[in-house]
Amino acid sequence: MRNDRMSLRLVRIDDRLIHGQVVAGWLRALGAQRIVIVDDATAADEFLREVLSLAAPPGVPVEVLDLVGGAARCIDLAASQEPVIVLARSPRTVLALRQAGVPIEVVDLGGLGAGPGRRRLHRTISVSADELAELRELEQLGTRVEIRIVADDRPIALRSLDPAR
Amino acid sequence: MRKFRIVLAGHGTLPAALLATTELICGPVADAAAVGLEPTESPDHYTESLRDAIGHDGRRVLVLCDLLGGTPFNVASAIARRSPRVVCISGTSLAIAVEAALADGDLDDALVERLLEVGRSGIVETERHRARRAS
Repeated sequence: MRNDRMSLRLVRIDDRLIHGQVVAGWLRALGAQRIVIVDDATAADEFLREVLSLAAPPGVPVEVLDLVGGAARCIDLAASQEPVIVLARSPRTVLALRQAGVPIEVVDLGGLGAGPGRRRLHRTISVSADELAELRELEQLGTRVEIRIVADDRPIALRSLDPAR
Repeated sequence: MRKFRIVLAGHGTLPAALLATTELICGPVADAAAVGLEPTESPDHYTESLRDAIGHDGRRVLVLCDLLGGTPFNVASAIARRSPRVVCISGTSLAIAVEAALADGDLDDALVERLLEVGRSGIVETERHRARRAS
């Protein structure tokens, strides 16, 4: 049996954080009424925090936390059973959350842009060598890593695309 | 005569189609642009495209976005929060676009309120709408 009740159902890595796929698709699919963003740079920028809070539908609070605050908050939320969406910009942040003791059942690769030195894994998902190593480490810690851009997509396991395997 | 620019912002081909359809209803729409976000386009690139469409001439600009929380809206509202000459609306319908295209004068509070009301009042379901009209 999966330990659904004690772990966050979905942590999404998306370099855009909140956008159309998240508000129009994932909020509904998860029945989530709260968005938690864990990102040091965003948490330190009042303007970005405000713009992100404007991006959520009315009634859906947006919490923007740094890594330390985010880890504590995520541990509480995992225990509370409240359906939430946790968003991070990078695999590094999610790995740090996991290492800080946040129980994460699945990490969803939802959006990681292309660029120099980045390998395209699938459609709009590209990773650097460092990011790929961080994702593998997450798998070793027992977190499934899947590509699932919109909620209707069939999840694609990272291990089925990982060039080293 | 309208004294502000209109920029339609949204996902994919929706803004271009909305502009073309608005022109079907009210004829050529002067001083208007459509900026669609492509599936692989980065928010930074879209920001540049939207800034270009908004222009740098100090004119007031109404940005009509498709989806609250979508990247076009997020980018437009970040611009609007920093430049008072830009007003950003989301949930744009054809009714709102037509009302804006036919607007006369300035982009002032009264017009913004009217656009929001036109959008809200255009959302009906036939049976409920009929019952309300009959009562």
